[in-house]
Amino acid sequence: MSRRVVDLEGKSLSLTNLEKVLYPDCGFTKAHVLEYYRRMGPFILPHLQGRSLTLKRYPQGVTGEFFFEKRCPVHRPPWVQTAEIHRSGGETMTACLVNDLPTLLWVANLASLELHVPLARAGSPGTADAMVFDLDPGEEATILDCARVALILRELLSRLGLASVLKTSGQKGLHVFVPLNRGETTFGDTKRFSRAVAMILEKNYPELVTAKMAKSSRTGRVFINWSQNDGSLTMVCAYSLRARNKPYVSCPLEWRELELLAGRGDPEGFLVLPEEAIARVEAKGDLFREVLERTQHLPHL
Amino acid sequence: MQGIWSGTISFSLVAIPVRLVKAVAPGRISFRLLHGTDYAPLARKMVCPEEQDIVPPEEIIRGYELGPDHYLPITAEELASVSPERSRTIEIVEFIDMAEVDPVYLDHPYYLVPLKGGEKAYSLLAEIMRRTNRAGLAKFVLAEREYLVAVKSEQGALALVTLHYREEILPADDIAPKNGTVDEEEKGRMQRTMEAMRAEFRPERYADERREKLLELLRTKRENATVTAPVPGDEEGEGPADLVAALEEIMAEVKRKQ
Repeated sequence: MSRRVVDLEGKSLSLTNLEKVLYPDCGFTKAHVLEYYRRMGPFILPHLQGRSLTLKRYPQGVTGEFFFEKRCPVHRPPWVQTAEIHRSGGETMTACLVNDLPTLLWVANLASLELHVPLARAGSPGTADAMVFDLDPGEEATILDCARVALILRELLSRLGLASVLKTSGQKGLHVFVPLNRGETTFGDTKRFSRAVAMILEKNYPELVTAKMAKSSRTGRVFINWSQNDGSLTMVCAYSLRARNKPYVSCPLEWRELELLAGRGDPEGFLVLPEEAIARVEAKGDLFREVLERTQHLPHL
Repeated sequence: MQGIWSGTISFSLVAIPVRLVKAVAPGRISFRLLHGTDYAPLARKMVCPEEQDIVPPEEIIRGYELGPDHYLPITAEELASVSPERSRTIEIVEFIDMAEVDPVYLDHPYYLVPLKGGEKAYSLLAEIMRRTNRAGLAKFVLAEREYLVAVKSEQGALALVTLHYREEILPADDIAPKNGTVDEEEKGRMQRTMEAMRAEFRPERYADERREKLLELLRTKRENATVTAPVPGDEEGEGPADLVAALEEIMAEVKRKQ
């Protein structure tokens, strides 16, 4: 096993198995993954900052077995920052906080291709910083159906005075985020609100939308998974890689781009690979920045 | 009934083709472990706490624990070299009196079903063992383990019960209190009480009540179930009245515009 010790921001980091191919379809190696996260660091770190990370590790690459790790591995370097998380059973758990580039690369080196974080910061676990609509196409539906739903959703939210921001899931769906960033918004609020929105869309577009988790009602429709608005759940972080045949990125999009993509009718157009993701942030900056900065209030609650 | 094994029972010149089937089906209700958010069945993974990594099957070996952090590795070949070959026959070596067998030795009960051509010898052996209250003792290899078994007669059929080995039985020496004189009057009283409570063993009068309650619960739940995965959160209709009213209004506008 190859090992390379690098010194980064005064922290010593041991990188292993760099030549290991993690995405066999395109020869994308551990070194490529590390290089992607290194270059994406300035853009992804603000979205990971202060949030307890759930690692999704693929030690044998995307075709092998994977596992989720909510606890911060005990064999961590001393400089990795952590937070004590209170879990529902009353027990506490130590979670990793990816607050700097060395930690991001340490996590990537553990073959945690995907980075998942909650919608709350570890210091204020009851506060929903954002409300999310996780648009997930059921069987026989595509990301183009998700795009239709997303556009209706944006219209609906904007008439409620709420701006929303969009990213691809990096899989087959779309994530619509509503920035909140007000200390007093609870997950009870975001769950009630998003559920009401999902149900009104289901009622008005029964052929296109379902708000029910049951697999059978999802066929041919877009499932609006409002229940993701929960302090105990996580969403894949903006700019995280996904463990698919190719290293697709969960990539923020402009609404204008979505309209164009939807108009073009090409589901492949939504797929963003690491090189393109980096070129995009270098040209446009962080399209998801608003999720962290914009303050909004949920009306009519 | 699915057979676990088939072969022959033999002693001296007799050979009876039979099939081994279970005599009891434990009524335990089992549950799958699922992921609470999406109902995905959970898989077990072997994880090395040292490396915090999944260990692939080809890297897993067996070790006999000699002491803390001190293991003697044993290979699959070494294990195979001491494992007996699966028996083709149940070779009866002795006939014993079943009444002499302490129930603590009885392990797991099976039935032996006669196979074609063996019916006559089967009935004969069952009948003679019933009349003499004898059971045939045999060594028998099933699933890589060598069992001591008793072949006995049960209502005209042959049954097989696996027996514990002597070394598996834990000593009971220290359990009964050594001293303690028994008052004759007390003895008589207890004897009379027991006499009054005497009954025939009728197992059908008893049932596992928790199991029945659990079955009833599952039945009711299944009848009322409408979803396959949980829908967390409140179930208060469409949501907060004010919000729903606003949404209805906006929705109508949006649809008009389209």
